[in-house]
Amino acid sequence: MGAPVEHYPQLAYVDHLPSGSRLWSQHYLLFLEGVTAVFDGFTALDISAIGVEHNELRVIIGPNGAGKTTFCDIVTGKTEPATGQVYFDGENITEVSEAEIFLRGIGRKFQTPTVFDSLTTYQNMELALPGNQKVWPNLFAKERPEERDRIFDILKRVKLDDDAHTEARFLSHGQRQWLAISVLILSRPKLLLVDEPAAGLTDAETELTAELLLELKKEHTLIVIEHDMDFVRHLDARVTVLNEGKMMAEGSMADVQKDEAVIEAYLGR
Amino acid sequence: MTDRAARLVRHRVLLLVLALFGLVGIPGLYFAKVIDIETVNTLGRYLTYAMVAIGLDLIWGYAGILSLCQALFFAIGAYAMGMFMAHQYTSLDNPAIPQSLYLVYPFEIGETSADAVLPWFWVPFKSFPVALVLAICIPAAVAAIIGFFGFISRVRGVYFAILTQALTVGACLFFGDNDMCLCGTNGLSQFSTFLGVDLGSEKLKLVMYLVSLVSTIGVYLLCRFIVQSRFGRILVAIRDDENTLHFTGYKPHQYKLFVFALSAAIAGLAGALYIPQMQIITPSDMAAIESILIVVWVAVGGRGTLSGAILGALVVNLLYKNLTSPIEVFGLRMWKPDYWPILLGAVFVGVVMFLPRGLLSLPGRLKERKSKVPNPTPKPVEAK
Amino acid sequence: MKRLWIIACLLILVAGATAEPAAEEDDLSALVLKLADEDAVVRAKAIQDLVLTGDHRLEHFFDQYRSGALYLWQGRPVLGGDIRMDDELDEYLPLLDVLSGEPLLSEAGQPLESLIDDVIEVEVGSPERKLARAAKFRVGLASTNPKTRLASVKRLGDPPRKSELLNDLLALHENDPVKKIRYTALESVSLIRMTDASLPPEEREAAARQLGDLDSARALAVLREMVRNKEIPEDRLPAYEAVMVQIEKYQGWVSLFDTIKRGLSSGSILILMALGLAVTFGMMGVINMAHGEMMMIGAYTTFCLQLVFGHTSSEANNWFFVFALPISFLVAAGIGGLIEFGIVRHLYKRPLESLLATFGISLVLIQLIRLVFGDNQASNSPTWLVGYVEVMQDMVLPYGRVFIFLLTVIVVLGIASLMKFTTLGLHMRATMQNRPMAQAMGVNTRMIDLFTFMLGSGIAGVAGCALTTIGGITPDMGQNYIIDSFLVVVAGGVGKLLGVICSGLGLGVISQTLEGYWLSPVWSKIVILMLLVAFIQFKPAGLFPPKGRLADD
Repeated sequence: MGAPVEHYPQLAYVDHLPSGSRLWSQHYLLFLEGVTAVFDGFTALDISAIGVEHNELRVIIGPNGAGKTTFCDIVTGKTEPATGQVYFDGENITEVSEAEIFLRGIGRKFQTPTVFDSLTTYQNMELALPGNQKVWPNLFAKERPEERDRIFDILKRVKLDDDAHTEARFLSHGQRQWLAISVLILSRPKLLLVDEPAAGLTDAETELTAELLLELKKEHTLIVIEHDMDFVRHLDARVTVLNEGKMMAEGSMADVQKDEAVIEAYLGR
Repeated sequence: MTDRAARLVRHRVLLLVLALFGLVGIPGLYFAKVIDIETVNTLGRYLTYAMVAIGLDLIWGYAGILSLCQALFFAIGAYAMGMFMAHQYTSLDNPAIPQSLYLVYPFEIGETSADAVLPWFWVPFKSFPVALVLAICIPAAVAAIIGFFGFISRVRGVYFAILTQALTVGACLFFGDNDMCLCGTNGLSQFSTFLGVDLGSEKLKLVMYLVSLVSTIGVYLLCRFIVQSRFGRILVAIRDDENTLHFTGYKPHQYKLFVFALSAAIAGLAGALYIPQMQIITPSDMAAIESILIVVWVAVGGRGTLSGAILGALVVNLLYKNLTSPIEVFGLRMWKPDYWPILLGAVFVGVVMFLPRGLLSLPGRLKERKSKVPNPTPKPVEAK
Repeated sequence: MKRLWIIACLLILVAGATAEPAAEEDDLSALVLKLADEDAVVRAKAIQDLVLTGDHRLEHFFDQYRSGALYLWQGRPVLGGDIRMDDELDEYLPLLDVLSGEPLLSEAGQPLESLIDDVIEVEVGSPERKLARAAKFRVGLASTNPKTRLASVKRLGDPPRKSELLNDLLALHENDPVKKIRYTALESVSLIRMTDASLPPEEREAAARQLGDLDSARALAVLREMVRNKEIPEDRLPAYEAVMVQIEKYQGWVSLFDTIKRGLSSGSILILMALGLAVTFGMMGVINMAHGEMMMIGAYTTFCLQLVFGHTSSEANNWFFVFALPISFLVAAGIGGLIEFGIVRHLYKRPLESLLATFGISLVLIQLIRLVFGDNQASNSPTWLVGYVEVMQDMVLPYGRVFIFLLTVIVVLGIASLMKFTTLGLHMRATMQNRPMAQAMGVNTRMIDLFTFMLGSGIAGVAGCALTTIGGITPDMGQNYIIDSFLVVVAGGVGKLLGVICSGLGLGVISQTLEGYWLSPVWSKIVILMLLVAFIQFKPAGLFPPKGRLADD
């Protein structure tokens, strides 16, 4: 397996950017440098540098245990890295709490769709409205028409408007996935982390999800974590391959699929 | 949807009727001499229990925080008001000291009754308004401290329950220790008057009943306002999945802290209303089992519905009252008070097993069975 | 403790009585009869002759004699029991045998009584009383039973510390085969001499030094009192104080030993309690509030077996305990199994509600037991757990505590090897870590759940059985332990046996240390609870928290 650096085309930027991650971090929307995560002596993630540009759609793939979820955990503040720094929008967010990170503009959709079961679809959306996260205002909050319209706009897009007042536990798996994504869209994050959006969906649902993501790409920066190769091909985006916690390759889907090391990691010997 | 709205309206009308019955009907029955003053007094006490139950339902039923120290908050409120009342009945040997405290005063060797000093923390309770405020604020402050540390370090679920239970046990020992000058295991019981009225008078008992009822209604309305606001939906979201809520930009611990302190304040107020009616409070009132009993009231009535909490508190306690005296049928001893704990235990098990949504869900379930409409089985509330 | 000694001695006396040959019986009776003689010289001689017979039962007799309980009934010496009054206000005296103290029986086998007017009380003058006291001790000192000898030697060093038997004590110090008696004899001699105001100050000081060299704990209390009462001349005070420091230093070690011993012992009880809970709560995530009641059931099972085997404090039948351990386990496990099958099984997804349901069960169980057995039952430990071994001077290990400690070790090792080396243990661990996966691999997780719950309950039953050796049995005894054991499990980290052991021992030792040196039991308990609360704050997942992906789910 070649050294990861050889598969790391962004290093070209070193030529016209002075050294020092401060400037790097200003170039990228999200920039991780020297990040490692260690659990019980096991290194789950070890990335020398990775950057995601503004308005990029990035797909991260990799076999089981490659560190994809750990990557998300670190970016969203759920796990603190053992070493290294995380920069978002030019600022160091390594030690910022997850709620604060969300407020700064990183939204995350978990692997299993996390919606609040006892709340209706509409109420789920309502909770994600930006600027409503303080304690006191919520005691006396009134529904505003423009917020209501915005919510229904998005719900229509994912065909959930008919189920707006159904409790989330009665929704199908695909509907829950879309609800989880809709909630994220509503909160208007700068960066969206989508963890396995196609897991457990029917073909038709998968297609709709892919459309949804492509549409999102127009306004947001997206990081999609995926298993399903067909689905990734749909997205036609830059792909980063993780394996055993390390970055293995990066490039277009076609390039990556030709990479010897990637094939070996995926097919095994 | 319309069916649900209609049910809501019916529910509200029913509650209104019940509240009116409590406000007018019970005093009316008393004046008509159908029920005696002791029944009114008992109902008044049970209403204070109902308030604690509402407070617990707010945090457990909605936010999913199982607190096993509500009885402690209740008892702190009762102690605060009890200390005010104790000041009204000072010792004959040393008028500086309330009789309750004098009886168990930890005299040093060689001290005489004249050497007893009123401890500093007894002083503020000489004033009624201060005592009332402290009865509400001390529990809230204690809850805020527990909540601040507990919720920030994300102690939750069963662990939080055990943590609060440990605190209760510690507090129970603390209050029972004679050297703390909180009257030891005897507790506060030497009272004469409350706000100038003799504690035995029927007038006071009736008034206290009405005050308890009005407070219960007030607490109910306050909590209903909270759970119906967006705040309430955030509480439900906390119960469903607190982790996710972090990733939606919320700081759940702030919300939990707020409701936990509020429920403690409610329990404190209830305790302050309880003591003039019961006229005794001891550390055993804050024992671990008492807090669990409060949980049981809520579970029996139906958690997650505020009226269920009231119903549960009243039903369980009325059962308790009627079943802790022997019942004879055809001259045979059919029921012994000894059987009560067995029945109570069986009720717990039965409710948890067969009626997880409490008594309040019973009519709906019966109707369902009649019409045989399959109901989509809701997922258990605490998936984890 | 002293009283226990005396009772123990008396019991031994009574037990030994039957073995005495009958011929001597008559001689003794004749001598006793002389105590009623009018001539004081004859009476004194009789006392001396009695001592010379060396019959150890006389110790009890002399005590009774001194207190005026000797009567003549139909010309025959008897002891009188507690006077009984009948409805006509006639007073009756129960008649007891002079030597054994047992009730005298009529030919029909009934205990004999006499109207109080029909017996003659034997007068005891103050010279006789004094003689009898010395005689009593002499009999004790001459006893063939080392325990009786030790008790007598020890009591001679207690107030009023008469010097009349000094020579006997010194002889014992020289010649007795038992080391402890030789030591105690010298201790008593020195105590008597140190407090004897008639002796010159140098000799008293020398005696004090001797006590210092003996590291005598008893002397320390006496010395403190002497200092408080200013009995020591100013110029000799430093010497006495040096002695006190010397003793205090040794006694410091003793109390350290005691603290560690008590810590380990209460820690091992906690572990025993918490182990079962660690199995049910830690592995299955079920809050079993009825766990304490499983323990209580174990204790009552032991109690029932004790009744069945007819084991009482006077008539030992130790076999019951051999059966009690396994049967307590089985009974508790059986009831635990019923609970799991009937109730807990349906609540696995709702841990907080299983807390409520099991609490209901505990109420029912407590009350049922109370209805059947009443409120309080005394239990008798098997006799081989009564008593203690003295490791070093004043450092004592009671057998009961050692037993519980060993039992804990065995149970811990048993569970650990069950988990590690058996297929069943493998299945249990698999079910605990990933239930659906274990199911997919063909593990019958329902059976495993049932078994795990039964195992946890059974261990609680064993704990209950062990607890009967150190305390009484009450229906709500489980309640005293349940919260502590939950705290142990939580502090140790859920599902970690090692964590439970560490936190159990740690809690035991810390709380006993606090109690032993600084705080009252109530306050040490409060401090412990607060420490635990703080601990849970900082380490919500316990001493050995899971890491990584497992951490949050």
